[in-house]
Amino acid sequence: MQEPRSDQLPAHGRKHLVVQLARFGDLVQTKRLLATLAARPEAEVHLAVDRSLAGLAALLFPGVRVHALAAHAQGQADPGQALAENMPAFAALRGAGFHEVYNLNYSGLNFALSTLFDPAIVRGHRMENGQRLSGPWARMALRWTRQRRFAGLNLVDYWAELADDPLPPGMVNPVARRGGGGVGLVLAGRNARRSLPPRTLALLAGAVVQGTGASRVVLLGSRAERAAAKELLALMPRALRDMTRDMVGATDWRGLLDALDGLDALLTPDTGTMHLAAHLGVPVHAFFLSSAWCFETGPYGLGHRVWQADMDCAPCLETSPCPIGTRCARAFSGRDLLRHLAGNPAFETPEGLTGYVSAFDPLGLTFRAVLGPDPEAERRRQFRTLMAGVLGRPMPGVVDPELAREFLPEEDWMLPGAAKPHTTMEFLDFQEKVQA
Amino acid sequence: MTSRSDLTEAARSGTPQGPLRVLLVPPLYGGSLPVARFCGRALAGMGHMVETFEAPDFHGAFSALKGLRVTSERLTHLENAFLGVISQAILAKVETFEPDLVLALAQAPLGAQALRRLRRDGVPTAMWFVEDWRVFTYWRAYAPLYDFFAVIQEDPFLGELAAAGQPNALYLPLAADPQFHRPLDLTPGERRTWGAQVGFMGAGYPNRRAAFRRLAHHDFKIWGTEWEGDAALARRVQMRGRRVSPEECVKIFNATLVNLNLHSSVQADNPVPPGDFVNPRTFELAACGAFQLVDRRGLMDDLFWSDELATFQTLEELDERIAYFLEHPEERLEYARRGRERVLADHTYTHRMAALLAFVAQRRPGWPAPRKSARALDGLPEPLRAQVVELLDRLGLGADTTFDDLVWAVRQRQGELTEVETAVLFLDEWRRQYGAKPAEPS
Repeated sequence: MQEPRSDQLPAHGRKHLVVQLARFGDLVQTKRLLATLAARPEAEVHLAVDRSLAGLAALLFPGVRVHALAAHAQGQADPGQALAENMPAFAALRGAGFHEVYNLNYSGLNFALSTLFDPAIVRGHRMENGQRLSGPWARMALRWTRQRRFAGLNLVDYWAELADDPLPPGMVNPVARRGGGGVGLVLAGRNARRSLPPRTLALLAGAVVQGTGASRVVLLGSRAERAAAKELLALMPRALRDMTRDMVGATDWRGLLDALDGLDALLTPDTGTMHLAAHLGVPVHAFFLSSAWCFETGPYGLGHRVWQADMDCAPCLETSPCPIGTRCARAFSGRDLLRHLAGNPAFETPEGLTGYVSAFDPLGLTFRAVLGPDPEAERRRQFRTLMAGVLGRPMPGVVDPELAREFLPEEDWMLPGAAKPHTTMEFLDFQEKVQA
Repeated sequence: MTSRSDLTEAARSGTPQGPLRVLLVPPLYGGSLPVARFCGRALAGMGHMVETFEAPDFHGAFSALKGLRVTSERLTHLENAFLGVISQAILAKVETFEPDLVLALAQAPLGAQALRRLRRDGVPTAMWFVEDWRVFTYWRAYAPLYDFFAVIQEDPFLGELAAAGQPNALYLPLAADPQFHRPLDLTPGERRTWGAQVGFMGAGYPNRRAAFRRLAHHDFKIWGTEWEGDAALARRVQMRGRRVSPEECVKIFNATLVNLNLHSSVQADNPVPPGDFVNPRTFELAACGAFQLVDRRGLMDDLFWSDELATFQTLEELDERIAYFLEHPEERLEYARRGRERVLADHTYTHRMAALLAFVAQRRPGWPAPRKSARALDGLPEPLRAQVVELLDRLGLGADTTFDDLVWAVRQRQGELTEVETAVLFLDEWRRQYGAKPAEPS
């Protein structure tokens, strides 16, 4: 499935822009796309991000030219002032002469920003003649968000597939290995419901320290979690507390990278810091609950583990109130999980949880259940087989026609996908790949 | 219902204040399509925000259904479903554009269900039914579903509409667009190509074929389609009867000494048919400053004085007057001059749209509903403010333009936008995303 593109291919030796206006974690997860573009001979890669993340972007992607925009409202109450600050950046972006623009976020700001460029060179989401439009791959992604339990790709791979030639998934992050630096513990993610309470974290930290034999614990988080860090320290057994260093709210981006580098493991909910650890090759032990779903935003690369809360309602929507008081969080303090993490063989499969390890297939990152049930494994396999065909990287396996119709609806091939002459060719290409 | 005198009065008294948002719905195809374009241009020229639902863009897909070679039942079902989709698209446009008025032209693909929905949602709808009500009878089903129904004929049609449950019918004759229909300074070559002593531009209806066979002794050119199969006229038909573009029409009108204008009829036995409404060509020829001989119509006296249009009522009279006016060029010029002046004074699409809007305002108290959007310039820091002032000027918008209207105008811009245009869209999205309220209207 191809996105709108310039008539002048190939795109080697050209200027590419990636527009990533979302949050910390999303920025890190843009890595495979950026690496893909940067790998093209003599390519010049630009990245537009919120100004709060420009410093991190420069650290993560040193060869990429970063454009800082005022896109997040925090600390900027006056939109007129934000615009005044953005005008020079708009001028620079507009005048840069990009050959491809990857506009990643389904956000009004992204749609607006896309109007700086010829719509024909914008992939992902664009505004054309005042109409918000998403390319076929982006529309496919919107479709699969309705079937999250078994459908969907990892966000890193979804964004990378906007390019024609995504770098092999194994070339994105190093294989995770213990560095001897102890255990890191991330207190909370941006979404509070995805985070675990300090009492649970204290139990988990103790178990992992025992299991890994680590002699050092580092607490990580933003200033907002300082109180939680104090509470956690108070809840820790003395021996554990003595080996724990509280760095919550005390690190800048460079400091956070340094704190993560060389750890034996990072215990974390679904956070930007988790993706940063994966970027560095630090083994992640992630706790996914509530709306967090490892098949969408799990740590990228080999050597990571995810404990996924797997109630029937998972993954839920963060914006909807939980009618059962986030009951899925309780499973993380269960005796059997703690025993397992501590290396005690006398445990049963923890109820309400599935233990996964990260793995690759031709589409990119997936997770393989190693402890507990994965009732959607077969449908997920079929979905990934279907998407692999769509993307021209066929995977063996039978796909239920009903499932195929769900993701390849008639409007995709009966009605024009875009008001561009090349749409028909795009469709033929897509059909041939599916049939192949 | 409203008569001519009501119409004039309404136009004088009730023109709504401030720019309106009008969603224009032309047909998928057909004769009212150019009328829709002229309406849109007139409304925009009056300072209103006009958004057009480009129904003709859907025509290709609709035509493709006809080539499916499926059962008629299936085809009917598919066509209904297709039109349902178009109606939904129009509703989506309404939802996004939030018009003060949805103006549909005859044959506009706005289905009954959509019209009911718009009425339920309080969105005013109007149709300009630029059809002969006796020939096209679908108004019986659809007229009551519109809030306002403008027509090109008076009673008994207006009475019929009232009886059918349409209380807001308006007589609104056709018109011309003086920006398009205007005198041209043609080259000698163009005059040779497009000109003749006598000319006719239009489709080969049976009454016209019958009438024009008697004019073979004149230097007579026929332009337009559907003239094939008539040996007597074959050598008069120009360019093998291909479709003539509107621009070419204007050249023909300008280059021809005596333009014939014979209203159409499917009945060959009465070449000069009786009729009331006045066709658009009458206004267009006059606006071009071209001389025309037009058959008399029942409603013509209310639109033109006798010295503004040269008319005929029989074929004998037509033949005599062609000869007379070919010999009296100064009289041709005088008719043409007065006819053009009259159109410019009373019969442009701007006049028609003003009358329609005044009628709506008169019949719908509180219309248009006030908008809460702040002015585009409110709260902007320098130098952005100065740049937006410049942008407003470039877009032909006044300094009082609301921010929402400016956003809409920018969204209609195509291709790469300037920084300030993008800034406007960015600011709009910012306010949507973060809930920052624009300043209250000052």
